[in-house]
Amino acid sequence: MQVFLQTIIGGVSLGAIYALVALGFSLVYRTMGLVNFAHGNVVMVGAYLASTFYLSVRLPFGLAMLIAIVVTGLVGVVIERVLRPLEHKDFDLMLIGTIGFGVVLEAVAVLIWGATGRAVRSPVPARPLDIFGVRVRTYDLLVLAVAALATVGLVLFLQRTKRGAAMQAVAMDHEAATALGIHVGRSNAMAFVIGAGLAALAGGLVGPLLYVSPSMGGTLGIKGFAGAVLGGFGSIPGAIVGGIAIGVLDSFAAGHFQGYSELVTFVVFTVIIMVRPTGVFGERTVNRA
Amino acid sequence: MRYRAGGLLLLAVAAWLLPYQLNRYSIHVANVTILFALLAIGLGLAMGVAGQINLAQVAFFGVGAYATAILSTRAGLGFWTAAALAMVAAAAVGVLVGLPALRMQSHYLGIVTLGLALAFTNWVTNTQLAGGAEGISAIPVPTLPGLDLSDEYLFYYVELVVFAAALAFGLFVVHTPLGRRMRAMRDDALAAGAVGVEVPMLRLIAFLLASLYGGVAGVLYAGLIQFVAPETFSIANMFLLLAMVIIGGRQSLVGCVVGAVTLALIRELLVDYPTYAQVAYGSVVVLTVVFAPTGLAGLPRRLTASLRRRGLARRPAGASAPTMRPFQPYEPEPEPEPVDRPPLLHVDGVSMRFRGLTALRTVSLTVGAGEIRGIVGPNGSGKTTLFNVISGLYRPAAGRVALADRDVTGARPYRLAHAGIARTFQNLRLFGALTVRDNVLVALDTSRLRGSWRYAIWPVGVWRHDRELNARADDVLARFGLDDFAHTLPGALPYGIQRRVEIARAMARQPALLLLDEPAAGLNGDEVRQLGEIVRSIRDSGVTVVLIEHNMGLVMSLCERVTVLAAGVVIAEGTPAQVARTPQVIEAYLGDSAMAGDLPAQVPAEAAR
Amino acid sequence: MIRRRRYLAAVTCTAAAAVVAAACSAPGSDKSSSAGGSGPIKIAVVDAQSGQLSSLGAWELKGARLAVGEWNKAGGINGRQIQLDVFDDQGDPTVGTTLARKIDSEGYVAMIGTAESAVTIAMAPTLRQAEIPNITSGQSPGLVAVNSPFLFLNGPTSTTYDETLAKYIVDKKGIKNIALITNNGSFGKGEHDAFSKALASRSVTPVADQVVTSDQKDFSAALTTIRQKRPQLIFLGAEEVESGLIVKQARDLGITAPFAGAAPQGTPVFLDTAGAANVEGTIVSSPYLGNDASDAARKFAAAYKAAYGQDAELHGAKAYDGTQILLTALKTSNAATGKALADAIRSTKYTGLLGNFAYDDTGVGVFATAIGTITGGKLVAESA
Repeated sequence: MQVFLQTIIGGVSLGAIYALVALGFSLVYRTMGLVNFAHGNVVMVGAYLASTFYLSVRLPFGLAMLIAIVVTGLVGVVIERVLRPLEHKDFDLMLIGTIGFGVVLEAVAVLIWGATGRAVRSPVPARPLDIFGVRVRTYDLLVLAVAALATVGLVLFLQRTKRGAAMQAVAMDHEAATALGIHVGRSNAMAFVIGAGLAALAGGLVGPLLYVSPSMGGTLGIKGFAGAVLGGFGSIPGAIVGGIAIGVLDSFAAGHFQGYSELVTFVVFTVIIMVRPTGVFGERTVNRA
Repeated sequence: MRYRAGGLLLLAVAAWLLPYQLNRYSIHVANVTILFALLAIGLGLAMGVAGQINLAQVAFFGVGAYATAILSTRAGLGFWTAAALAMVAAAAVGVLVGLPALRMQSHYLGIVTLGLALAFTNWVTNTQLAGGAEGISAIPVPTLPGLDLSDEYLFYYVELVVFAAALAFGLFVVHTPLGRRMRAMRDDALAAGAVGVEVPMLRLIAFLLASLYGGVAGVLYAGLIQFVAPETFSIANMFLLLAMVIIGGRQSLVGCVVGAVTLALIRELLVDYPTYAQVAYGSVVVLTVVFAPTGLAGLPRRLTASLRRRGLARRPAGASAPTMRPFQPYEPEPEPEPVDRPPLLHVDGVSMRFRGLTALRTVSLTVGAGEIRGIVGPNGSGKTTLFNVISGLYRPAAGRVALADRDVTGARPYRLAHAGIARTFQNLRLFGALTVRDNVLVALDTSRLRGSWRYAIWPVGVWRHDRELNARADDVLARFGLDDFAHTLPGALPYGIQRRVEIARAMARQPALLLLDEPAAGLNGDEVRQLGEIVRSIRDSGVTVVLIEHNMGLVMSLCERVTVLAAGVVIAEGTPAQVARTPQVIEAYLGDSAMAGDLPAQVPAEAAR
Repeated sequence: MIRRRRYLAAVTCTAAAAVVAAACSAPGSDKSSSAGGSGPIKIAVVDAQSGQLSSLGAWELKGARLAVGEWNKAGGINGRQIQLDVFDDQGDPTVGTTLARKIDSEGYVAMIGTAESAVTIAMAPTLRQAEIPNITSGQSPGLVAVNSPFLFLNGPTSTTYDETLAKYIVDKKGIKNIALITNNGSFGKGEHDAFSKALASRSVTPVADQVVTSDQKDFSAALTTIRQKRPQLIFLGAEEVESGLIVKQARDLGITAPFAGAAPQGTPVFLDTAGAANVEGTIVSSPYLGNDASDAARKFAAAYKAAYGQDAELHGAKAYDGTQILLTALKTSNAATGKALADAIRSTKYTGLLGNFAYDDTGVGVFATAIGTITGGKLVAESA
């Protein structure tokens, strides 16, 4: 029983990171209709920036994260600006364009910070809590809290503010949105920036949990994307549910199948998606030709 | 054409003579490049030609290589036997990986195929059978009588022959009915289904082809390097392959090859600066995607088009301004009296709901064979939804649809196309990257996909079938006056001509029932008149026509009976004159009863028939 | 019309003639003669300079460069300077085989690298055919199985590491309750198999044997299972960063047992990733116990720090030793190449940072490691 519970806890803590990554994917898709395959690499950039400010410049962790989010947001602006001509035109090409950006980001990170990574010490020095024999790291609780706050903030933004509503309008019908006076380019840029900010948040948080290296974006991106799809692509609560689900699935697969965990995780993911292609919360997208 | 043949010959000779110029290192690079070119062709077929996102290509490569390795080292089979079985394995895996494509497309398919590629690498890293992380070494060298294939120069020739055959086969597929259908599916899967393309099976075939090319490349890889390890089949190489296909031009197989060769050479040039090389690839992919979406292969066409715009390049000699010729009427068939017409289409109590919004509420109507039926009603009344239910795009929440005694409720669009239903779309769904002729050719092709085995075994039969289709296409194009536009892309045509192309495409299959969704929208008066003639001629040839229209003049003059829908309910049905006087219709649609007098009574032309 | 036909005919004739002429002789090129009497002596360093395991490549390069720098400053070999060129194999065996052919055709006399056994094994047949000696820092027993007279290891094999470790743990310390956690990469698998064999020869069965993937980030399931078995010691078979993560998470899960491992556990990266407090008491089997372990080590570390501003560690030390051996062999053989150079390497006796090198027929030169324990954030040697 203890193994079972501990496995879940482990899965949830990593799943919270996947959920934050998934949140970024889903937000950008929901507001821009764009799938950003470079998102994982943006997470990596955020992780490097946050750790640089935290370790080398010795700023407090929260401040370092904030600066990282701002700078990464600028990276998001650049990506959006470059890919703007493709928006709402050829979806598959845009997808591939973001893959190209991802490759560039990873290479640039190697050029700036070197290929070796760096370890980041935890900003929360407290010992893990022991609840009925199950251990919970205090840092994990921090991550979960931040993820929850981010979700709530995002949902409020999208549903209660004008800009948030405008963003969703653009995704539904960008021509009608323009007719209503919404500046589509600016709205998209803002959506992308928020997505990048979420990526930086995820990256900054994951640093003390794992290890910051240029290739960390790969797995985080793929698992985060799978989480977003699982929960229903474009759905905010879906991203959270899906991200945590992937984390827990991964954890159990590792527990039962050891070395074969990736195989099991992705085969299970494929089967779930085939049975329910729109994910837990999503809209129907299967065409009937 | 002659120049092309000459150029091809020169290229072939150059390729044959290449090894004489190269040292041991360069020939190895050439050999590896050919493998990437094979993979690129496979990826191009799946992604560029058939429109299926396939991020598992590198796993197909791996299956071919590992299967050959395992069978030749562990099971002790000869290299070629192992290779043949490896191809079978690759094909099986290809179909398996293609199954998700039946349920999802685009980025969903992307992440699923990517995940399966990772799953493959994971499996291979763990199984003792596959040698784990250290892979399998000492794969036996393939043997051919009289040739020592451990010599890379001779292996080059083997690869060259295989590559030439593979490229030729790929080009053959693209330019014959199978490839045409795949391109149609890529451009508009919905419309493709409506003209009879069996989309699900075609998706599987696309993945099968990709996996066969991957398998061939894998087999050759095993023979060349004689060592397989998991890292070769990594996601990084998948993205490199993707870059090759995009930069080369994914829709053209030759483009894919050019992309593969170009990137392989750049990789060699930059081998000392790998990080800068990565920056270069990524940037070039982004630039290509934004500025040159058709890739390197599309450059010549863009160049000539831009030169033509600037008046620097000549148009092909003898081309006068293309015009649409008049429509040539069909041979009329003897037509039974209206009372004797057997019902062709029977819609019985169909209801359609979209998450709380009821679009159709127990709609029933019966259309007799040879009738021209009009469906009118205010916007949002459910007319197109009704069409979509009849043509199989939606499954109704309740009710039945029957075509001449056959229950076709909820059948897939392509089955309905085979049963004899054809349609046009409100928003014009032509295959944008196919010429007008190709649009018609796709519709003309009534062969079933399960006959595709002929591609591998009896290509001559395929070629003959294609010639026959082309001859029939000429007839269709001539009938609709579209001869001058046969080689034009639909996007370059005026709207009216595009509409006619869509009707020509729908009629190509000689359907029993033709559904026209607002065919007169956007047409001027003369074009509407021509449309009326065309529809009448179509009906005279024995086809039942149902059309949705807002142009009341056309409806009144053309249709024998009219059904009026409002808010998802049939509020009236009868002859146009009867319907025009029905109070509910006037209130819901036609306007104030005072205007009823403005509507023409049954036009004499109709009555005189 | 006629012009076109003539054109096509001309092309066909030329083509046919060319093909016939070519078919009469087989293609091939004369090898660019390698290492003639003068000019710099070219040595290739092949490692992953990009990708996940690129830190190993970076360390190796620094160690090799340090050695070459010393020799060049002292006048080179027979007055010829030594030229070190770097190649990135990207951790991909296919790229490795391409590079093997490249260094063959460009006249390199020897190769240092790679740090990854899988890539080295892939390159071995080509290097053997080209008669280019290769000193690798891989340690997998699979390298020995290749049985190439041109392949040498610059350190002990996993078998040696783990035999020494097992001897210390079981025989000397009497610990029998041991859990294993290894990854499924080539290094991890090699470590798993070697340590299991060493334990089996002592009739010890591990209480837990968990395998994780190289990419795994969360080890809760594996570690909790291990925790349930209450081992006295946990053996780590993974690279620096992953081991560090495992240790960190283990301590968070309340596991207090000490860890043990081989080469990666002796590196600063492992310490930093896990956290110094968490690795206290870790038993390390390594021939290079740290920069303070001996006078030679101190000298090396000082030179390394002066040149690169970073702390030296095991991989750099291995590459340094390997390069030194190569350069010594070049000197004694009078800048020979091919088989002669390989023989010279085999007969070179060298006292290096890792121990006394004396190569046998299998290409292994060092057969012992030392045991150290991490105490107070530093690796302290255990008295034998």
